[in-house]
Amino acid sequence: MRDLKHLIYFENLLDNADNELVEQAKAEGQLALGYTCFHIPEVLLNLPGCFSVRLRAPRTGSIDIATYYMSNYTCEFARALVERGIEGGFNFLDGLAGVDACSMMNRFYEHFELLKMNEKPNFFVTHTDMPYKVEDYSVRHYVKQMRIRLLDVIARNYGIDTSDAAIRQAVKEHNEVCAILTEIGKLRKAENPVITGYEYHVLNLVSYTCPKAKILPYLRQTLEELKTRQPDPKPWYRARVAVVGSEIDDPSLTKMLEDCGAMVVVDRYCYGSTPGREVIELNDDEPALDQICRHYMQVSECARYISDEKVQQRRDTADRLAREYNADGIIYEQMKFCDFWGFERALVSHIMSTEVGWPVLSIDRPYNARSSGQLRTRFQAFVESLEIKRIQKNGGNK
Amino acid sequence: MAKLKYPNPAFFRAKNKMDWKAQGENLKEIGGIVGQMLKETDWKAAFQKTVDNLKADGKRVAEEYAAVKAMTKDQRLDLLKNGEKHLGKLYRSGAMATVRREWRGVKDTGVDFAEWLKMWGMLLGTFSKDLVPALNATLWYRWMISYMCCVGFMDKNTMGQRGTALKMSHLMIYDIFRYVAENLVFLAKCDKKNGNSEELNKKVVLFDEMTMGQIMAGFPDLLGIPYQLMPVFLVSEIDQLTCVPYIDAVESFGLPADTCPVPSSECGALVIDALPHMGSCFISSSMPCDGSTMASSYMSRRFPDLPVFHLTFPVRYEYEETVEDAAEDIKACIRFVEEKTGAKWNWDHYFATMKRFNQETAYELEKWEVNKTDHPQIIGPCYELFRKWNYEMDGGADPRTIKTFEKVNKLMLQAYERREEAWVGKMRYRGIVWSCPAHYYANFSNWLANCWGIDILVEMESLNFTKPMETEDKEKALQDLARLYERMVMRRHTNGGYHNVVDELWRQVEAWRAEIIIMYQNVACKNMATLQGILDEQAREKNYHMIWIEHDLMDPRTVSRKTMRDKVNEYMRTVMKAEPVDPTLCDFDDEACM
Repeated sequence: MRDLKHLIYFENLLDNADNELVEQAKAEGQLALGYTCFHIPEVLLNLPGCFSVRLRAPRTGSIDIATYYMSNYTCEFARALVERGIEGGFNFLDGLAGVDACSMMNRFYEHFELLKMNEKPNFFVTHTDMPYKVEDYSVRHYVKQMRIRLLDVIARNYGIDTSDAAIRQAVKEHNEVCAILTEIGKLRKAENPVITGYEYHVLNLVSYTCPKAKILPYLRQTLEELKTRQPDPKPWYRARVAVVGSEIDDPSLTKMLEDCGAMVVVDRYCYGSTPGREVIELNDDEPALDQICRHYMQVSECARYISDEKVQQRRDTADRLAREYNADGIIYEQMKFCDFWGFERALVSHIMSTEVGWPVLSIDRPYNARSSGQLRTRFQAFVESLEIKRIQKNGGNK
Repeated sequence: MAKLKYPNPAFFRAKNKMDWKAQGENLKEIGGIVGQMLKETDWKAAFQKTVDNLKADGKRVAEEYAAVKAMTKDQRLDLLKNGEKHLGKLYRSGAMATVRREWRGVKDTGVDFAEWLKMWGMLLGTFSKDLVPALNATLWYRWMISYMCCVGFMDKNTMGQRGTALKMSHLMIYDIFRYVAENLVFLAKCDKKNGNSEELNKKVVLFDEMTMGQIMAGFPDLLGIPYQLMPVFLVSEIDQLTCVPYIDAVESFGLPADTCPVPSSECGALVIDALPHMGSCFISSSMPCDGSTMASSYMSRRFPDLPVFHLTFPVRYEYEETVEDAAEDIKACIRFVEEKTGAKWNWDHYFATMKRFNQETAYELEKWEVNKTDHPQIIGPCYELFRKWNYEMDGGADPRTIKTFEKVNKLMLQAYERREEAWVGKMRYRGIVWSCPAHYYANFSNWLANCWGIDILVEMESLNFTKPMETEDKEKALQDLARLYERMVMRRHTNGGYHNVVDELWRQVEAWRAEIIIMYQNVACKNMATLQGILDEQAREKNYHMIWIEHDLMDPRTVSRKTMRDKVNEYMRTVMKAEPVDPTLCDFDDEACM
């Protein structure tokens, strides 16, 4: 296939948290608000006058100083962010919206404060509380948290308009991004898709890490380009896989998988698009904030939700997406030392394999996975096993 | 309101419905295993070991005789009155128990022996309330065998104690053992593989061992049982090797080895079917940490017929606006229990229980006041365990416990008046324990006092919610209950922000005038591990003696008890330039010893 026009530009944008588009928006006087967790509705950080940046630590090398502070058996993602913060990589931020959802990520936010990583006069780190299940009262709790611990803080520190009208305006722009990415994402359903999993991963990540207004024109152009893009004469992949699990913000992991012959057709992981790129449907009867919070709770697939229906939802979603996108197998992955996904992965990979009948690869991985020879070997072996299964299904020989 | 006996005698009388055919088959299987073991035993080696042990005993007796013979008259009199001082000699390499009981002097050995007899009497009396299922449980669950050593656990915890301190320790541990014995009988009666009492199962509400028991105060007709407490958590404190097969099983299943051994063991126990199948419903919880939160899905998976309520509380519990959500969750939980059991929430009983709990908390605060003085009286593992048990499990439910509080308080104040020493002749350093503790597994507080004279005045897990619970207004009462639950053992410190565990430590060190901080470092506790650098940095800035002790709770293979002790030995010798109180305790082998 011919290269996408903006792919290299997008890849360059992902090389730094403080990328070209972020700098442009900052130069125009916009406020950069950082966050990591899905439970902070991205759209609430994109109110007029500010924009969201989902934090990553691209090109992470040594994390020795963060390891001194957080020990060596804790989430590498959290440690990489602490290291990047200490290095000054997040000095461009004007605020950090935290959720006390998983303990290790919470400690990243706390170290941000404790080690005084950003000393701008109005800089804030806010900690919000997040329920573990979806009930009427827990939705109310979530709404209250977003109002008191996030919107009021933004308004107080920077005078940003957090009214219902402002929120609805942000949703409109957010929805356009989501609609484009959903449309592009669906292209992966085709037997011979015009987009690779890696390309989609890059597109999706730039949508999380760049100001929405700045990235939108590029996304629109890419969608148009894809509509006329000619695929290779034959599918390039050897197997199609759904990736399910904890945070992946490094497209080179997807690249490694695809280099092994496994096209990633479903990105059902944190920082992925399912969930994350669903359009938020608002009615006029209820405050936008309430509807947004309910939306995020309902579509969330985070392993932290422990109520039985959410546990089942996670299994059903993985199964449904894998079927819809014609996956041959599912890869359950977790960031090493992640408690939530550690427990979830062990149990669900077993259930999906023995009860639902999916071929499953179950892995834990470092944050910086691009150079892992062990992972590459396991991916290759999984692809081969999927091919063998296909051959056996077709009655032996091809 | 009619006065109810606790626990309800009807629970013991509930009719069993044992499947004798299944028991027969199990017995046959056990017989086969025993036969195989007998067949595979190297009898020659076993005989040789017995001979070696007898020789070692003979040698020890000869040495002890020679030591007494070499003493002056005053030293002999001291031995007779105050007991022995070299406790390391009680351990033998490779042995599961100490070589003999401790000699504490005539009076205290008498006291100790009387308490030992009383304990056995209580245990036999309790198990005889329904002996068959209780005994039969030993044929189903290997963890039941470890409870046979419970009296050894008592001996271990009181090692080196004399006088009033010994009496207080016995009083407190007796209550815990009684609670455990009664619950073991209930577990055996309810278990579908064993007693299979349908009548009792209808009354039983199981809750996660990391969930406090106070919610059951509103259900006097029901029996709340912390489900995994007996098969997993408590038994591992008696015998640290109990949970090893659980951990291995769940790690073979795919659970990463870096997770906390507590939820790992709970899940592993489910994998190898080591938990009884029982109860009418289960209350799981999101407490205290991420790992515990996730263990509940394993429970639902193993027992799909058991309805589960997930009690979840805000993590940022100090935000006042979160109390509403927490109280709503408690209301929902109450509705769930009512729906599943047919029982009705009883406010009168709840308030009466909370009044008792408030009284108990007041007694606890008195203990703290005494321990903050220059003459601390009530320290050691029995007290630490009692505080934890009373706060988490008993919660004022058992009217017998308040009597223990009264007796202990009286003894404590008398001892304080007399300026007694809690560890006679061993009061050198004031210590505080912080982070997820490992002292029960390793008998650490006891060892610290006996070996180095480091007296643990208080531990992090004791310092929880002490505000009196509301006993009149119903809405406020539910909010208080939520506040209490949010501040459960460990969660109070490790959740809600770093200040609850970092700043709080410095506050407590000042309040208790601690000279040494025993900082436990559970290699799998992410909440604490992520603050390691900050704690270390600030301790150095403040010039505190902080001894880091790595451990892995109930998995001694990661960090052995000996390795834990060595950390203190090294620090005391190299940094403090100290000499041990009892040099025989610096280096001994207790790898296999319960």
